[in-house]
Amino acid sequence: MGTLIIDNVVAGYGSGPNILKGLSLTVESCQAYCIIGPNGAGKSTLIKVIAGLLKPREGKITFKGEVISGLRADQVLQRGLSYVPSDRSLFPDMTVKENLRMGGYILRDGRLVNRRIDELFTMFPILKEKSSQMARTLSGGQQQLASIARALVLKPEMIMLDEPSLGLSPKVAQQIFSTITDLRKNGMTILLVEQNARKGLQNADVGVVLDLGTNSFERPASEVLSDPRIQELYLGKRREPLATEDQE
Amino acid sequence: MSDISPVNSNEHGAMIKTEKNSPLKPFIIPVLISMLFVVWKYVLSANGILKSPPWMEQWGEAMLILGLGLWFLFLLTPYITRFSKVNKWVKGGLPLLILAVFLVIPLIQIKTGTLNYWLYMLTICFMYIIWSSSWNIIGGYAGYISLGHTVFIAIGAYFAGMIFVFWRISPFITAPVAGIVAMVSGLLFGLIALRTRGSTFIISTIALVLLVAEILDNWKLTGGVNGLAMPMISLEGEIAKIPFYYYMLVIMVLCVLMTYFIQHSKFGLGLRAISQDEIKAEVAGIPTRQYKILAFGLSGMFIGMSGAIYGYSLTYLRPSIFLTVAIGTGIVLNTILGGKGTVSGPVIGAAIMLAVNEFVVSKLGATELNIVVTGLILMLVLLFFPEGIVGSLRNKGTLPTFLDWD
Amino acid sequence: MIQVFQIVILGLALGGVYALMSSGMTLIFGVMRIVNLAHSAFIVMAAYLAFWLFKAINLDPTLSMAITMPVMFLIGMAYYRILFASRADNPRFVDITVLITFATGLIIEGGLAFIFTGIYRTTTPEYAKTSYTFGPFFIPQSQLYALIISIVLIVGLWLFLRYTRIGNAIRATMQNRNAAQVVGVNVRWISTLSFGIGLAMAGAAGSLLSFVFTFYPAKHVAWIGMILCLVVLGGMGSLVGALVSSFLLATAASFVSFYLGATWAPITFYLALFLILLFRPQGLFGKKVEG
Repeated sequence: MGTLIIDNVVAGYGSGPNILKGLSLTVESCQAYCIIGPNGAGKSTLIKVIAGLLKPREGKITFKGEVISGLRADQVLQRGLSYVPSDRSLFPDMTVKENLRMGGYILRDGRLVNRRIDELFTMFPILKEKSSQMARTLSGGQQQLASIARALVLKPEMIMLDEPSLGLSPKVAQQIFSTITDLRKNGMTILLVEQNARKGLQNADVGVVLDLGTNSFERPASEVLSDPRIQELYLGKRREPLATEDQE
Repeated sequence: MSDISPVNSNEHGAMIKTEKNSPLKPFIIPVLISMLFVVWKYVLSANGILKSPPWMEQWGEAMLILGLGLWFLFLLTPYITRFSKVNKWVKGGLPLLILAVFLVIPLIQIKTGTLNYWLYMLTICFMYIIWSSSWNIIGGYAGYISLGHTVFIAIGAYFAGMIFVFWRISPFITAPVAGIVAMVSGLLFGLIALRTRGSTFIISTIALVLLVAEILDNWKLTGGVNGLAMPMISLEGEIAKIPFYYYMLVIMVLCVLMTYFIQHSKFGLGLRAISQDEIKAEVAGIPTRQYKILAFGLSGMFIGMSGAIYGYSLTYLRPSIFLTVAIGTGIVLNTILGGKGTVSGPVIGAAIMLAVNEFVVSKLGATELNIVVTGLILMLVLLFFPEGIVGSLRNKGTLPTFLDWD
Repeated sequence: MIQVFQIVILGLALGGVYALMSSGMTLIFGVMRIVNLAHSAFIVMAAYLAFWLFKAINLDPTLSMAITMPVMFLIGMAYYRILFASRADNPRFVDITVLITFATGLIIEGGLAFIFTGIYRTTTPEYAKTSYTFGPFFIPQSQLYALIISIVLIVGLWLFLRYTRIGNAIRATMQNRNAAQVVGVNVRWISTLSFGIGLAMAGAAGSLLSFVFTFYPAKHVAWIGMILCLVVLGGMGSLVGALVSSFLLATAASFVSFYLGATWAPITFYLALFLILLFRPQGLFGKKVEG
């Protein structure tokens, strides 16, 4: 019984060509899925369709048994599915606290939102420290944390992240991935799109390879990592076996 | 583009069904409305039921003729196109023929003196074509909408006018210099204003035209609000218009030729790239800043020249003649209606709008509603016909070859 | 010295109304990246409405705000909804919207000329005829009222944007439209609402204008030039910027008017525009990123 079921979805932008061409995928709950693939394969498009930012042309998406394809973004949020876009996407001239408050926008109860924000400050002390600073003054890593925290205000059951390590140094990226792993350990379902395929797969349970608009591969992440075809196509072939995960 | 559908007609060529994206659709509404008016006028009120107000009579009739006329033209276009494609000599021949007619008309006027009105109208028409074609260089090719292009008319007119008043040198001689002055002004202005993108640029052109209007209104040298008076040309009444006619004709031909050459040059290609995606164009190595500035300067040159001649023909210069919103809008509307970014578009657009304007004024008189009509037409064209006539026809494949100068 | 202060006072008095006139336009641009070239035409429309109410039922123009603001609000929402809402995804959006609003301005001008003719109009409530004097200075009563009301409205708008849920949604949409969508803001609805609010501010400005200035249908052209300069100088999308630039330029124009003559005053605005474009194109309070 999967949490998120994507069934033969076809999608594209405006009147342009189909980018997703009949994609099917099942995301089991409490697992972390990492989607990798070349540019233009449709990774970001898929996330946008699930989040309700883009209507699919064909196909169906079901979340916890309920059909969500075709719903608006706020309706998808209400059902417990949050989205962290690529490039942080904070509101640059609002404080960190105001950004978090916007995360709770669809909740009308201000006090509930404030309570959740306090919980998040406990989880991310650095954000508490910066809470009244403008979001644009934060470093890349801090902005990404804020972005994730903003998505957590609604206490979602599943969270989708589009290229969370983009533009971050390896050390900071690792922090982000640790955070994501912690979330997963606490029972959240994670769907991850990563350009840094190696890092993404190392921090996931299942790897999905997306190519030409459909998925060509869905295996436990470690298998995907060690598969020689994947290594050659997406990871860059190594002459010697992997030493530690910190080597970049 | 999956939405292109050929015009349908059965074997008898009778009823034309409109497809979902057919260009005929917007015309149906005005035609229906005007038919309603005519029915009201001739049937109902003629029989004593419901008297129709006089303005509705005029409007209904005007709309009916206009709507039907345009619709008819659109219906005929595929046949004209087919004819032009089959007979290859039409493409070059027809424009040359029309040009020959233009050259001959004044000679007829000298002989018979009956074509005064036509001389006048054609001179104005040539001038509008010059304005629209020039605007097209920056607004159509480069995609930078300028709402202040009338400044070039004023610059040309005042430059030549002042030289004429102070040093007695005829504008016929100084017009090319006026053109250069206009071009240089355009280059200078471009240097400042073209550092900004889309909307801010448009704003700066508006500010420019208002600023120039204020200066001309207040500066004693230019006569202020009362304007500048110039001596009249010394020729007989009937043939007085002829030099202006030929001069304007020459400027027009040169101007359209210039746009033709730009369109087919690397410069023009660069401008088109800029209008599509300036950042990508920059990355591709196109010197966007220089191109834009040059385009803006060139777009002012012939307008300035025509301004010098126009001002001379009026013998009296006031800022409020050239620097009106109506003219500025007219230039933009002409080009967009005809098809911005094409060579023949502004020519067609200017000619058609002039004809429509004359027709409307003759039927309804020059009221404040003229400006409403201009605004309405602009809005309709923007919403339904952003490609303009030439653009839409080309997309449907029914562009007559003698209009295809790209 | 007294003269200098008097000039400054007169400048500040007008600055308030100018700020109100520009506030709507900068809000609309901030949220939807639309340059509303018809903004001053809508203001004149509201002024005519106030004028008509004054003539018909002797309604005080200041009180007429209670009517002009809601009316313009509804017109604004309908206008946006019909013309722009569905075109927002078109890449050529900016060019087309500017020309559409430009055409709208012409249509409004023609319509007003048809209904009211081109005679110069103004409303003449009692307070338009007197001035307050304090010490050696004076300020026309009408302008003082207009100043106070304008500031109240702008501060009210600012508070609304800062502290209400919808206001925050509007600010969020201004700063990052995509992120706003992601957190569940219905950006289409917020855009429509913002356009309505922008025109409501125009409505208020029209009511106040009706007794501060004389107006006629074609006047909107002169005012749009001025408003555009104010908005660009202040920074497109910035309410604070509109306020600051309005006071600054109104005072500067006041000086120009005194020393060079009233007909030269409008040039202050245009010169300021070109100067700011040369040195700081994003305006005093604007962001570097272009929409």
